[in-house]
Amino acid sequence: MATTSKNMNVFYRQKKNGTTSTGKKSTKSPSPKHAATFGSEITQPPALVSHGGSLDLKDDFDEQEQVLRQFDMNMAYGPCMGITRLDRWERAQRTGLNPPKEIESLLKGGKVKLESLFDGRV
Amino acid sequence: MEVDSQEQLQRKQSTYLSLDENFEIQKEVYRGQQYSQIYFARLHMMRTLLYSLVPNWKSHLPVCTVLELEEGKECIIVGTLYKHMKLKPCILDEYSKERSVAPLIKPHNFMHQDDYLVLEDESGRVKLGGTKLSPSVYVTGVVVALHGKETSAGAFFVEDVLEAGLPPQIERPLKSREDKYVVFVSGLSIGSSSSNPLQFQLLVDHITGHLGDEEEQGLAAEIVHLVIVGNSVEISHGLLNGQNLASKDQSRLSEPFKELDILLTQIAASLPLDIMPGSSDPANFALPQQPLNRCLFPGSATYNTFRSCTNPHCFELDSIRFLGTSGQNIDDLTKYSEAKDKLDFLERTLRWRHLAPTAPNTLGCYPFTDRDPFLIDSCPDVYFVGNQEKYETRLLKGLEGQLVRLICIPRFCETGVAVVLNMRNLECHALTFGTQISS
Repeated sequence: MATTSKNMNVFYRQKKNGTTSTGKKSTKSPSPKHAATFGSEITQPPALVSHGGSLDLKDDFDEQEQVLRQFDMNMAYGPCMGITRLDRWERAQRTGLNPPKEIESLLKGGKVKLESLFDGRV
Repeated sequence: MEVDSQEQLQRKQSTYLSLDENFEIQKEVYRGQQYSQIYFARLHMMRTLLYSLVPNWKSHLPVCTVLELEEGKECIIVGTLYKHMKLKPCILDEYSKERSVAPLIKPHNFMHQDDYLVLEDESGRVKLGGTKLSPSVYVTGVVVALHGKETSAGAFFVEDVLEAGLPPQIERPLKSREDKYVVFVSGLSIGSSSSNPLQFQLLVDHITGHLGDEEEQGLAAEIVHLVIVGNSVEISHGLLNGQNLASKDQSRLSEPFKELDILLTQIAASLPLDIMPGSSDPANFALPQQPLNRCLFPGSATYNTFRSCTNPHCFELDSIRFLGTSGQNIDDLTKYSEAKDKLDFLERTLRWRHLAPTAPNTLGCYPFTDRDPFLIDSCPDVYFVGNQEKYETRLLKGLEGQLVRLICIPRFCETGVAVVLNMRNLECHALTFGTQISS
């Protein structure tokens, strides 16, 4: 949204401001395939947008995020929607499913998204 | 002959332990989760249990998930049952069906001969065939293990079923007990046109020892506990249509509670009492219903013998475990399956180890994320359900020596019947109050 001017919003469906505070989507959406495009401001294809450096892909393509997504998708621990990742890990731990310990350290330690990819979108 | 006996009769006492913590939802936080979480918790708990029971049942067969089924291969699968019912009311019918003369919701029972069962786990679902599993007995939400094989049509032909069976029961100490009685009453419906205040007053007078001679009072002194199993008040629907009430109507709204409180104060002054919410009481709609607010009972809540409890309610008296509901779970089973009598439904819920298998499908339920509170881990000694049509009781014997007294408590406003249980031998009898004034 850094590239669109204010009056472009008139043509495109407005998105509610501040849906989550974790800032789950990087504003410079790296590629339309991965972005959930709610009336998205894809007026400029990403390739034409100058970033003055490397694209900030950390939020979506970080290795840690990939590991966490694998944890989200693992059916053995139940559905991933409507529950934070840490709660889901703790539930799995409590019911004896033996989830990998590194997920817990990732969730409690670093700057990773606490909710699964689908949270707030479905 | 002594005219006035100087000794006072002492009421017997028993130790009480509440086990309702599992049914309380004060600590739960709603984060927008759906019911998939509670179904996952149920499937996981029951599947772990069934996997441990399968080797004793048929140890030679492999256990696999639904997606791993191969045609013709005999195996065992474990999953949640889903019953597809043609007549089950569906919100989409309001949009798709033509507005015909036939009402969209049929009253009593939604069964149809074309109903079929489907087994589901996380990997997939498969339609069930064969005659071993009768759709009229099972409902959505029951977790079972099935032995059979996949047919060429893609369905699973069921050869045998394994239910979880009665849960293990904690051994009671076999000391020679004295006679101690627990009284159950439900469906008082104070405030409705069919309730007779004299009947309930008679019950209160009998329990508190204000009726009869010394022998009667001696019997009443052996009553140690009273459980009121739901639907204690009934507020006329005209007052609840969402419009603002005039001040004279507002007093009509609170009259039933005042009347109930007066009677409960008399009881609470005399013996411990538990009151459970029911479908017509001012508690939350979804199960587990939370305890009725103490401010509704200004007089009786001041006594420490007064306990407001959840629905379902689980407690121990002298280490005898009681478990029961106000009837919503059994009434829902009646709508979606059939049995010879209500005690059969009670027995089935015990064998399935789940108090309310139709929750959350057709019975309102809180969306728990980490557990399913309706799973029965330990077999109760007394299992009761309130607000039924008539008094019925049976002693159920389990395969591992479990002994459960099943009780259906009738609606007091209609029948005038309360149920009395002797804790020494788990025998039950009815206490009937009639108010016919013969001319």
